[in-house]
Amino acid sequence: APPPEAGDLGGRGRQKGAPGPFSAEALLQISAGFQQVKLGERGGRRRDFHDAGVNTRQAMEHVKESKCGVTGNPIQLTANFFRILSRPQWVLYQYHVDFKPQMESRRLRSALLFQHEETLGSARSFDGALLFLPNRLHSKETVVYSETRNGEKVQITITLTNELPPSSPVCIQFYNIIFRRILRILNMQQIGRNYYSPSDPLNIPQHKLTIWPGYTTNILQYESCIMMCTDVSHKVLRSETVLDFMVNLRQQCGSQRFTEICEKELVGLIILTKYNNKTYRIDGIAWDHTPSNTFKRGDADTSFKNYYKSQYGLDITDENQVLLISYVKRMGPAGAPPPGPAMLIPELCYLTGLTDKMRADFSIMKDLSTHTRLTPEQREGRLNRFITNIQRNADAQAELDKWGLSFDKQLLNLAGRVLPVERIYQGSRSYDYNPWAADWTKEMRGLAVMSAPPLNNWLLFHTRRNGNEASSLLQTLSRVSGPLGIAMGKPVMIQYEDHQESLLAALRHSVGPQIEMVVVVLPNNRKDKYDSVKKFLCVDCPTPSQCVVARTLSRPQALMTIATKIALQMACKMGGELWSVEIPLKQLMIVGIDCYHDTAAGKRSIGALVASLNQSMSRWFSKCFLLFNGCLPSRIIVYRDGVGDGQLHSVVNYEVQQIMDSIKSMGQDYNPKLSVVVVKKRISSRFFAHINGKVSNPPPGTIVDAEVTRPEWYDFYIVSQAVRSGSVSPTHYNVVYDTSGLKPDHMQRLTYKLCHMYYNWQGIIRVPAPCQYAHKLAFLVGQSIHKEPNMKLDDQLFYL
Amino acid sequence: MDLTFSPPLHKQRHQFVVDFVKRNKPKKVVDLGCGECTLLKMLKFHHEIELLVGVDVNGAKVKKRMHGLAPISTDYLEPSYDQLCVELYQGSVTQKDARFKGFDLVTSIELIEHLTPADVELFSEVVFGYMTPKMVIISTPNSEFNIFMPGVSCYRHSDHKFEWTRAEFRSWAMKVCLDYGYEVEFTGVGKAPQGQQEAVGFCTQIGVFYQLWGRDCCKTLLVNDAEDLFPYTLLYRVNYPSLCDNNILRRVLVSEVLYGAEKLKNRWMEEQADGICDAVALGPVHHAGEIVAVPLDVLWSCCPKVSVLSGSLGNLKHLLMDEPNIKLSQDSSAVLINHWEQGIAPNSRDEPVLSNKKAQQDSLIKKLKLINLITKIVINLYL
Repeated sequence: APPPEAGDLGGRGRQKGAPGPFSAEALLQISAGFQQVKLGERGGRRRDFHDAGVNTRQAMEHVKESKCGVTGNPIQLTANFFRILSRPQWVLYQYHVDFKPQMESRRLRSALLFQHEETLGSARSFDGALLFLPNRLHSKETVVYSETRNGEKVQITITLTNELPPSSPVCIQFYNIIFRRILRILNMQQIGRNYYSPSDPLNIPQHKLTIWPGYTTNILQYESCIMMCTDVSHKVLRSETVLDFMVNLRQQCGSQRFTEICEKELVGLIILTKYNNKTYRIDGIAWDHTPSNTFKRGDADTSFKNYYKSQYGLDITDENQVLLISYVKRMGPAGAPPPGPAMLIPELCYLTGLTDKMRADFSIMKDLSTHTRLTPEQREGRLNRFITNIQRNADAQAELDKWGLSFDKQLLNLAGRVLPVERIYQGSRSYDYNPWAADWTKEMRGLAVMSAPPLNNWLLFHTRRNGNEASSLLQTLSRVSGPLGIAMGKPVMIQYEDHQESLLAALRHSVGPQIEMVVVVLPNNRKDKYDSVKKFLCVDCPTPSQCVVARTLSRPQALMTIATKIALQMACKMGGELWSVEIPLKQLMIVGIDCYHDTAAGKRSIGALVASLNQSMSRWFSKCFLLFNGCLPSRIIVYRDGVGDGQLHSVVNYEVQQIMDSIKSMGQDYNPKLSVVVVKKRISSRFFAHINGKVSNPPPGTIVDAEVTRPEWYDFYIVSQAVRSGSVSPTHYNVVYDTSGLKPDHMQRLTYKLCHMYYNWQGIIRVPAPCQYAHKLAFLVGQSIHKEPNMKLDDQLFYL
Repeated sequence: MDLTFSPPLHKQRHQFVVDFVKRNKPKKVVDLGCGECTLLKMLKFHHEIELLVGVDVNGAKVKKRMHGLAPISTDYLEPSYDQLCVELYQGSVTQKDARFKGFDLVTSIELIEHLTPADVELFSEVVFGYMTPKMVIISTPNSEFNIFMPGVSCYRHSDHKFEWTRAEFRSWAMKVCLDYGYEVEFTGVGKAPQGQQEAVGFCTQIGVFYQLWGRDCCKTLLVNDAEDLFPYTLLYRVNYPSLCDNNILRRVLVSEVLYGAEKLKNRWMEEQADGICDAVALGPVHHAGEIVAVPLDVLWSCCPKVSVLSGSLGNLKHLLMDEPNIKLSQDSSAVLINHWEQGIAPNSRDEPVLSNKKAQQDSLIKKLKLINLITKIVINLYL
């Protein structure tokens, strides 16, 4: 590709006539123009994980002045944010660098430019065209001469094009780059987006897992200043190669199903290699390739085996292993065709992270959490130590000083509010829960639920071996169902052979349209039987169903609690309503949307949508919009979960439009008030409360809507759940579209109320109930059913 | 006439060193004038090398790239028996530093032509007379070749103080050999166009020097300094994790033992859950309540990695004996691991405080022995 013309900066930035002091307005303009400019550490373009440049707040009149709520008791908190301090009047000088004659290679350009260290100084960053310096060069245009190794003279013209204020997006990207350098100086390893220190690993040998402690960091413009948000992160690595994993898997599942299961397990996983520091994602397996296959290297064909031997001195012992395919996103050199997929040798690759199977394994997760779950006190301590380490490291300080930057020594102090406890209503009775526990299992005991359809025609399946468990379940269910107000008749007990086929045959034989509920006692928690039960009863023969693993019923002392939970779950699945909270808004419909990304089965994504059917938000319709309460809702609030980093842009620009279009299609004069709230659970912000001199989690109901929010958004944080161990993680709510005119305070309180409405948990959860219902539905469909559930089940929470 | 080399000449020079290392397997290697550590980065993959050192007069240049020599993530995940220590120094090759004595191989790639003639003299004395390595590789441009390089009027690089013909290089090398007891072979990389190789030679000429006698009888020993000097500044030093480090070996072994034990336990539990009460399948794992005992001999024979790491069963026992993360049965014949029913978290509040651990363990061992006995009886019945 020809290098850009002198005047045209290839869309990288706007050239300014005369640099100098700018008015505030002009600065804003410059910043806006730079929204698209991306600085890569190595000049490559990267996805914007921070969703910068999505300015949704400006379109919402009612939050222009303030987006803060008022309700609740103030609470003093600290957050895992550190202010970045720069000298007053700090600016970053941006220069355009021109070479004559033009130089193709970026490396060469850097080498030529950096021959003039005495002119440029040691603090500099150059990506091949743009040069950033913390100081202003003597004149606006500087001309210097360099010489290549071949003795060719090159004229270099360095022209000042911009003075960037600290808050400009380019500067912020810049801070992030400098900070990454600092982490490297601290001997940390980059894996993915975060940095980890491999020198003090935590081992979980029984599962061959290694955990590296590390940090996620990102520097962004927050409400009032630029801050670094940093959180403790743990990287789970496996100390076995992909080949070991494959051999084990083959032993476990046999040769016939090996290819299928292997792809399911491996595709989508991130791997590390023995010879470089890159991570790759496994996109496929080349079953017809082995290390003796060849590839073009320069002019000659080299086999993978020889290549790794000669290049890295690595011996490949297994000649017959298949290869892994990874589609590398990195662009090739300009003009050249994009590089083909990378072929990787399983023996030289290590797995990182957890598979779904491991996540589902109780013992692995338990062992993991003992290492990774940090109390608020431990977490705060680690964050403080991190900053102290940076401050004590001379090299790191030198790097920061070079650029005239420094960090605050302390975590950010800020004020939050704690919302009052919600009253829980169950028919004519109502009660408050303990605000710290955020759970009303105890309070609920002996109270009848709001409504539960009677259960007369139902079936209980069990194997011969689990006959005892089934009958004790039945006994306990009849004991607990009375006080809960659930009328439960006697079921038909059906015995099945412990095979998937015979279970399915038994279901087919006995389940008819008159059956209201099917309960299956499963002999173990293998997925195949569960999947076939759910598939049959959600798609072919729509009937609410409840599966119980026999082992959970084996402890008599826990049976009452478990039976209560099962009874409540069964009631929900048949369309019962358990409790409600007071929601003052009338004609309101709440919608929850979530996605499940099925990484294994061909990267399918399943979207699920759950909408409220009645005033008390106790009945829910799953899958698509419809009406229940007689008239169309005049307000719709959509809670959208499952939006990844960097995807906000598409939600704002496309999804909101689609939602509005579908509303319009309901009728011309139907014009409800619409709010769209993006819900994010996986965030790195953390809050700590200091209560009685001890660092603890903020109480449920804590709202933060200042300082650590983003100026361009209408956003807030709520800590709604209570956790027994570890640090609580707040949920971030970003209102991207809002014509409801609801005050921020009401929006926050409504959101909090909705976190009380998840019937599978007698307590407050992390997200509004519709999001969690949608998550459950998407998960069930994606994991087990793989098909659209039968329409007859739409108005029941059959997927709980 | 235009000549381009494929692969590029600088890569060919490095490849020459790499090939040399592969053939001669030196344990300690130092690269003089390592610059951005490109050669060192290639050499670190060669397992024979145990000490890899770079030195350059420009410390800033070294610092910029030195992190690339750090162990990568996977080096920590599965350490091998290879040992590698990387050290980088800032210093001048005209100065003697005691830490640079006794290397197997010294490489000096395109370095000497940047030195003044006086410094070349010092260089010869430092490298051949003081450091006295077993082998030395020295590369430098061949000025006879410059006729093929357009645009090169005097020297190939403005910083070159001289560029030698083959004869000049040869005479310097011969003198060095004579003075310090080495023999030399001449070769090079970058072939001249067809038919002219004889007349012109390689683009880069390389001399490979071998020490003639053992180090002890070198005449230079007599000139030895009274005191050791350390004028070079250490910029970077890193030890690669290796199984030769006893702590790392223990850590890896403990991991493998616990992993193997867990796997054996799970297999047994699964078989039991599936109702395969076939005594043979039951295998040698015994359990009592929440503790499962996995005999070391079974572990040793079932897990190849454990047997490789420990060498012998006796050694395995010995290594695990006072390992805080491993619980052994009283006669040290089995590893004891916890077992919890899946899905039911052990509730710490409900559990009685284990005040009398010893007694509990004893009764446990008794139970285990009983189960062992019963198993044997059952097996015999089936046979």
